[in-house]
Amino acid sequence: MTEPRRPDYLPEAIREKLIHDPRVAEQDLRVEVREHRVMVGGNVSSPQLKQRITEVAKELLPDYEVVNETTVVPAAEPDGEEPVS
Amino acid sequence: MIRIAAVGDLHYGEGSREILRPSLQHLQDRADLLLLAGDLTRCGGPEEVKILADELRGLPIPVVAVLGNHDYHADREAGVRRVLEDAHVQVLEGEAAAIDVDGVRVGIAGTKGFGGGFRGAHGSDFGEPEMKAFVGHTKMLSDRLERALAGLDADLRIALLHYSPIEATLEGERLEIYPFLGSYLLAEAVDNAGADLVLHGHAHHGVEKGRTPSGIPVRNVAQPVIRHAYNVYTLDARRQVLAAAAGGIS
Repeated sequence: MTEPRRPDYLPEAIREKLIHDPRVAEQDLRVEVREHRVMVGGNVSSPQLKQRITEVAKELLPDYEVVNETTVVPAAEPDGEEPVS
Repeated sequence: MIRIAAVGDLHYGEGSREILRPSLQHLQDRADLLLLAGDLTRCGGPEEVKILADELRGLPIPVVAVLGNHDYHADREAGVRRVLEDAHVQVLEGEAAAIDVDGVRVGIAGTKGFGGGFRGAHGSDFGEPEMKAFVGHTKMLSDRLERALAGLDADLRIALLHYSPIEATLEGERLEIYPFLGSYLLAEAVDNAGADLVLHGHAHHGVEKGRTPSGIPVRNVAQPVIRHAYNVYTLDARRQVLAAAAGGIS
């Protein structure tokens, strides 16, 4: 990707790219950049999506180290039920 | 007792296959209805929702859904809807469905809903055409929701939304994005028409429980919030009928 002229705007530029890449399309990711390291956090729905985030981030910034700190949300059956009336 | 299973924000797409299916195997023993609160796809592709539809096809309980903002992204929402309907999932947008569960008529009115914000800080359809269109969309969908709910002849009534009707279930989200997460106009529509339960998604960092200003229970069933395949809520139809009768007498 073409990096913004000022590094202050790089995390948001990466976040936008991740939202618009159909392999990711996730709006709830946090992106931080320190030196040549990109850290991505947030919740994702599957291990495959987590892997895609790493791949896409590396494609975007091949010269950066990508640290994927996203969490895969569990999807097991619930333990019980809640009476609401 | 009517058991409602609900979840939103499943965001199906490539790589999602089999995420939900193992948890759906015992669903008919645990719930009478499954309600889906929008954002069923990642990018709004019919091929994405097909993965979910294949998992839902043949479920022995009725499934009712609304679409979410992600399901509109590819401008192919009609195709998304068609794929779901082919799998016998009823999709609501400003519409209502009434389903008989063991002699109890359960009514569901559904809409995606939209944003604008909350009381004291809601956007107005004033100024630029873009702003008028933004708030006008919310007003139109809220009006349709109220009419759909009010027109339901049912023992229990549920409002199924994607966007949030209240602030309480957004706690944990950044305040700056509240206007993009929901609108009080949806709550006003529900409070005007009356309902027993409101379900929504969209707010992944919010919390599960809240109430409308008139006290109707609201549950944010976004999958990242409930952290299960679905949650189950039970409604006592007899209690609702007694409450309605008492209200009628007083």
